[in-house]
Amino acid sequence: MTSTTSTPPSTAQRTITLELFRYHPEQDTEPRFQSYEVPYRDEWVVLDALNYLKDEVDGTLSYRWSCRMGVCGSCGMMVNGTPQLTCSAFLRDLVPGPIRVEPLRGFPVERDMVISLDDFMVKLESVKPWIIREVDKPLSEGEYLQTPSQLADFRQFTMCINCMLCYAACPVYEQEEQFLGPAVIALAQRYNLDSRDEGNDERNELVWSKEGIWDCTFVGECSAVCPKHVDPAAAIQQAKVEATNGFFLSFLKPLGRR
Amino acid sequence: MPGPLPRRSSALWWNRSWRYRVFLLRELSALFAAVYMVLLLVLAQAVRTGEGAFEDYLEVLQGPVLLVFHGVALLFAMLHTVTWFQAVPKALPLKMGVRRVPGIQLIAANYVALAAASAVVAVIFLA
Amino acid sequence: MRPSNEPLVWAVFSAGGVVLALLAPALIVLTGFVVPAEEVAFDRLFDIFDNPLVRLVLVGLAFLTFVHAAHRLRHTAMDLGLRGAALPIAVIAYGAAAAATIWAATVVV
Repeated sequence: MTSTTSTPPSTAQRTITLELFRYHPEQDTEPRFQSYEVPYRDEWVVLDALNYLKDEVDGTLSYRWSCRMGVCGSCGMMVNGTPQLTCSAFLRDLVPGPIRVEPLRGFPVERDMVISLDDFMVKLESVKPWIIREVDKPLSEGEYLQTPSQLADFRQFTMCINCMLCYAACPVYEQEEQFLGPAVIALAQRYNLDSRDEGNDERNELVWSKEGIWDCTFVGECSAVCPKHVDPAAAIQQAKVEATNGFFLSFLKPLGRR
Repeated sequence: MPGPLPRRSSALWWNRSWRYRVFLLRELSALFAAVYMVLLLVLAQAVRTGEGAFEDYLEVLQGPVLLVFHGVALLFAMLHTVTWFQAVPKALPLKMGVRRVPGIQLIAANYVALAAASAVVAVIFLA
Repeated sequence: MRPSNEPLVWAVFSAGGVVLALLAPALIVLTGFVVPAEEVAFDRLFDIFDNPLVRLVLVGLAFLTFVHAAHRLRHTAMDLGLRGAALPIAVIAYGAAAAATIWAATVVV
């Protein structure tokens, strides 16, 4: 691990130290940490500091970001060991520093703070996160109606922005890459609980399997770090209750569907 | 050129924050519950064997080892109770008509049940 | 995709969790502190533990507690990085729960 310090041009202002995880596969066999001083501003978030460094100090820094307002879900990183959206992590809450910034835990690292999304994307699609109908109603018959009460059943689970902070917080996913994981199960529940949807059986074949909900030990950290209050831990516990009911009901049913 | 850095995992993840450590203690409460259940069964067996066997076991119960154990087991049991009740509104959200019952009310109902169950047990032994 | 038998043990684990949450604190106070303080006479204790209903409840409580503990501790072992030994751990955990439950049944008979 090597450490170099770059001081910004103006020395009069207050600064704060960032320790950044660096990994460039073409030159590094192991990750290293690099320290930078950035100007301290009350209104700055960690992402502002990263953008300052990339623009003014070190153009080789790599990380993902887009909206800067906690909506796009791109800029999640480990900030002092906790998964956070860097656009919502204010420097003023992290004084006096240093602030250690690392890529989200539990994922392969492509470069610096850029993680590989492949595993998450495959899992996301695997639970068929769209409305499934046994027979689609013709357009001429109008829309599928839903009451506010029916919407309230799943609305919370629609808030997910796929930022993957919950995966980085989940020790079960850290130990078991096969685990479907918090956000994907919450999204499956979002559609399973939607009164317009008829795809529960298709989804639950996976959600109720060994790789689905059953590795979860309800650590609850996924819900603690979720920036959108989706509460994936609750979604998983509800799925366990439904899976258990389904398991026992399947013995009551004649040979028909099992 | 080497590719991405493979994902890593540590078995010592629970040492990263107090929330993880509380989780681990919560899970370990099960060990104390099981050992306590063995002790309860030993008491039942001693009592049904006769007064002599009970007096012998009473001396063991009065010893420091089991007093300390029961103290620790009580703390773990309370941790289990509190965390289990906290989980109830998450696992079993309840709707009355079109309204979702607030989680705090479900948790409160569980504490009422705890008081009732504790009272029944106390009456069986003491009243 | 492997269909899972987890719901079977999870149901017992959950039932055990509920029963322990409601009864364990009071029971521990009574049999861990009040009985050793000799606040409960032997005759009373005999009436309690010899009662057929209490014996039935006791063996049920033992079953739920032992399976609850086996299931929880098995998953804790997985979380602590012992996934390589998943099968032997499951056999030991549920085997111990089964043996302890059988012992509990012999105690109350």
